[in-house]
Amino acid sequence: MKVLKNQITIIFLLILLITLMPFVAFSQTIISGTVSENNGTPILGANIYLEGTYDGTSSDENGNFSFETSEGGMQTLIVSFLSFEEFSISKDVSEMKNLQIKLREDVNSLETVVISAGTFEASDNSKVSVLKPLDVVTTASALGDFVGALQTLPGTTTVAEDGRLFVRGGDADETQIFIDGIRVFTPYTPTTNNTPTRGRYSPFLFDGITFSTGGYSSEYGQALSSVLLLNTIDEPVQEKTDISIMSVGLGLGNTQKWEKASLSVNASYINLAPYIALLPDRNDWEKPYEAASGETVFRRKFENGLLKIYAAFDTTNFELTQEDIDLPNGIHYQLNNNNFYSNASYSGSLSNNWKLFGGVSYSYAKTKLTLANDKINDLENAAHLKFKLRKHFSSRFKMSFGAEQFLTDFTEDFTGENIIINLGFNNNISAAFTEADIIFTKKVALKLGVRGEYSNLFKEFTFSPRASFAIKTGKDSQLSIAYGDFYQQPTNTILKYTQDLQAQKTQHYIANYQYVANNRIFRAEIYRKEYKNLVTYDTENPVFSSDFTSNGDGFAQGLDLFWRDNKTFKDMDYWVSYSYLDSEREYQNYPIIATPPFANTHNLSVVAKYWIEDWKSQFGFSYQFGSGRTYTNPNIEGFLQEKTKNYNSVSLNWAYLISPQKILYASINNVFAFKNINGYQYSRIPDANGNFNRRALLPAADQFFFVGFFWTISDDGVENQLDNL
Amino acid sequence: MKNIIIIIISLITFSGISQTPYEKGMQKALDLWEAKKPMEAVNLFERISKAEPDEWLPSFYVSYILVVNSFGETDETKLKNQMDKALNYLNDSKVLAKDEIEVMLLDALWYTVWVAQDGAVYGMKYGGKVSEIYQTAITKAPNNPRVILNKAEWDIGGAKFFGKPIDPYCNELKKAIVLFKDYQPTGKFYPMGGLQRAKDLLAENCN
Repeated sequence: MKVLKNQITIIFLLILLITLMPFVAFSQTIISGTVSENNGTPILGANIYLEGTYDGTSSDENGNFSFETSEGGMQTLIVSFLSFEEFSISKDVSEMKNLQIKLREDVNSLETVVISAGTFEASDNSKVSVLKPLDVVTTASALGDFVGALQTLPGTTTVAEDGRLFVRGGDADETQIFIDGIRVFTPYTPTTNNTPTRGRYSPFLFDGITFSTGGYSSEYGQALSSVLLLNTIDEPVQEKTDISIMSVGLGLGNTQKWEKASLSVNASYINLAPYIALLPDRNDWEKPYEAASGETVFRRKFENGLLKIYAAFDTTNFELTQEDIDLPNGIHYQLNNNNFYSNASYSGSLSNNWKLFGGVSYSYAKTKLTLANDKINDLENAAHLKFKLRKHFSSRFKMSFGAEQFLTDFTEDFTGENIIINLGFNNNISAAFTEADIIFTKKVALKLGVRGEYSNLFKEFTFSPRASFAIKTGKDSQLSIAYGDFYQQPTNTILKYTQDLQAQKTQHYIANYQYVANNRIFRAEIYRKEYKNLVTYDTENPVFSSDFTSNGDGFAQGLDLFWRDNKTFKDMDYWVSYSYLDSEREYQNYPIIATPPFANTHNLSVVAKYWIEDWKSQFGFSYQFGSGRTYTNPNIEGFLQEKTKNYNSVSLNWAYLISPQKILYASINNVFAFKNINGYQYSRIPDANGNFNRRALLPAADQFFFVGFFWTISDDGVENQLDNL
Repeated sequence: MKNIIIIIISLITFSGISQTPYEKGMQKALDLWEAKKPMEAVNLFERISKAEPDEWLPSFYVSYILVVNSFGETDETKLKNQMDKALNYLNDSKVLAKDEIEVMLLDALWYTVWVAQDGAVYGMKYGGKVSEIYQTAITKAPNNPRVILNKAEWDIGGAKFFGKPIDPYCNELKKAIVLFKDYQPTGKFYPMGGLQRAKDLLAENCN
C-alpha cells in the first residue's frame, strides 16, 4: 500500500511537472518592433536578439520583428545588419515592445566618401585603386619599374631622358619616396645623361603604392610637389625560389617562411655589354653599364604588431665618352656608385584603440665620378627617424600625432687640374605633425593637419597647415578639395655651396571629381600651385662663387583627366590619362619668368592589356605622347623661347605562361622608332657667320628590346613570377 | 501503471534533457539553411556564436554560408561587405580552432571566391595561398575525403586553365568517393557533405 502511495505521489508530481511546463512557456515575453534606415526605409534580414541568449529573429520585408523570450528583467537587445553600425539597447524585457529602431550606416563600408584630391592608390583592396600592383609589371612601357608605371598617370610630364617623376610643373627633386613610411634618400640608380633612370627597388616587394600629386597628409614633409608611398608586403604567401634569365642579366630570389617570421632575399646582376655589342646605341662606351644589387626583407609577427627590416645594396659602374658640341673628341665620363639603404619599422596596436608606429632608415651613397680630367667624390650619409601614434576614437573620428628627425651629412671632394675643393654640410631637420580624420556622415569627410619643421642649417622654423574635404555628390561620385603649404630644402647641389638660404615653399589648391562604378573610374582634377623662395644664382651653373638667393618664384596650374575601364570589353583592361599644364618660373639663372624644359603643356598616355585565354598570353600596349619642350635658341632673341617637336612612343609587350611556373616575356619600347628629341645643345661660340651651331639631344637608343624567362620553384607548383616581371 | 511512468519519463526526457539549447539552436540553424533561408540561418548562427563564445562551429557556419553565397555574386559592394563579414567570423573560428581541418578548408574557399570573381587580378594574388593551404591540409589529413575533394576541384580548375592533363585528379576524386562511404565527421554538426559533388565532378571531367 505504501509502495502504491509513493507511486501515486511520483506520478502526481510528474503530471504536475508536465502541466506546469506550458505555464513556463506561457510566462514568456514577446519582444517586437521595426528596424529601418535613418530615412525610414525598412530593413529586411536584420538580426535582432537578446545578448547572451538564443532568443532572437530576423526582420521581415517591412522591417518588422517579433520573438518570444523566457528571460526577464534587464536585458540588452542587439540589432545588427551588414554595412550598418550595430545597435544596442538595455532595458527591462517587458518594455521591449513596438521598438522603433533606426540603424546608422557604417562609415567603414565601401560606399563611404574618401578624400581623393591629389591621391592615386595602387592596391588590390581599394575600390578606388587606379593601378593594381600587377600593373607595374604588365604595363608595356614601364619595363618592370614602378616609376615607369606611374608615368602613365595624369599629373606627370614626359621627360624621357631622365626617367624620374616630374609632377605638375615640379622638377624631379620635388617628389619624395617613402618605404613603409620612412624616407628613401637616393631612390634612383645613376645613369648616363641620355638614358632614363629606374627606381632602385624591385616592384614585387611592395603590395601597396600610393602616389600623391598634391595636397598630401601632414605626415609627409620635405616634398614640394609629390610623395610616393611604397608599402612592403606583410606576409609572403609561401616558400619559393625564383630564377630569372634576361637579355640584360640574371636574377635570383628566395623566400623562407617560419611560423611567425619570413625572410626574402633577391639578387640581380645587370650587364648591358652583350646587348650593346648586338645593338649598338649612340653612346661611345668604354665600359657599358654594369650593376649588381641585393635586397632582403625580414618580417616578424608579434602578438600585437609587426616588425619589418629591409636592406638593399647596389653597385653601379660604367664609362663612356659623351658627345659635346664644343669638344670634337667628347667628354670622358666614368661613374662608380655604391648605395646602401636600410629601414626598420614596427607597427603595433596598444590598448584602447591606440596604434603605434616607429621606424628608422639609414642610407649611404658613395659616388666616384670622373668628368674629363676632374674627379668628383661624393659621400652622403643620411638617416630618418620617425615615431607616430594614432588613436581611433570611433569609426568617425581618428587622430594621429608624430615626430621625426632627418639627418644628412654630405661631403664632396673635387680634384681638378690645379685645384682641390672640399665641400660639405650637415643638414638636420626636426619635425612634428598632427592630423585629425573626421567622417561626419557617409557623405561628408574632413581631414585637418598641421606640420611644423625646424631646420638646424637655416635656423628657420616653418609651419604648414593642410586641409582636405570630400563630399558625395551621388551614389558613385564625389567631389573633394584640398589645400596645403609645403616646404622643402634646396638640393645637395646647391647646399654644398651655400647654406645661407631659406626653405622653398609651395601652396597647393586642388579640386577633384571622381566617379567610380562597375569597374570604371573617371577622375578630373584642377589645381593651382604657387612657388616661393626658389633658389636663384647668377652663373651658368651653380658654383662656389655664385651669388645665391632665395628670391625665385613661379606657378603651375592645370587639369588632369583619368579614365580606366575593364568592363566594357571582355578580357581587356585599359586606361587613358591626359594632363594639361601651364607652368612658369623664375629661378636658377633665368633672366625672365619662363616655362622650364621639364614642364611641357600636353601629356597623354594610353595603356591597354588584353588577355587571350587560348594562347595563355597577355598582350600589352602603351602609347605616350608629350607636346614639345622648351629650349633656348641663342640665334634669336629670348629665353626658352622655342619648343622641340612632340614626343611619341608606342610600346608593346607579351607575357606567355608556358606552365604555371614558367613565363616567357618579351617587350619592345618605341616600336615605330619615332626619332624623339629631348632638347638641343648649342655651341658657346658662334661660327664664322655669327651662328650658334647646335646638336640635338637624342636618347641613347630609339628603341629597347627585352626578352626574359622567369621560373619559380615552389612546393605546390603553382606560384609564378608574373608579378615580378 | 509502469507504462504510464515510462511514457511520462520519456516525454520529459525527449522534451528537455536530450537536447541542450546549443544543440537545438544548431539543428534549427542547419535546418534553415537546408530550407534555403541562408540569411536567417546566418542570423541564428550569429546569435549562437554570441551566446556560446567558446564554440567554433557557430562562427564557422556564419562564415561558411556567407562564403558559399558569395560565389557568383555580381553586386561588388555587396560581395565586398559579405566577404568582409565572412572573414571576421572565419578569423573568430580560427582563434578557437586553428588546426581544425574544416577551418582550413573554409580559409581556402574564402580565397577561392576572389579568384573565381576576378581571375586576372586575384588568381595571381591568392592562387599560391590556396594551393599552400590545401598542401598543408592534405599532409595533416591525407584520408579525409572532404580535403581530397576540395583540393582536387581546385587542381582541376588550375589544370584546365593551363591545358594540363586532369587524369591524376580523377583518381583523387575516385579515392574521395570511396572514402566518403565510411566517412565519420569528427564531431556533431561538422560539415560532412561532398559525395554528390565528387560524383558530379567525376562525371563532368573524367571518362
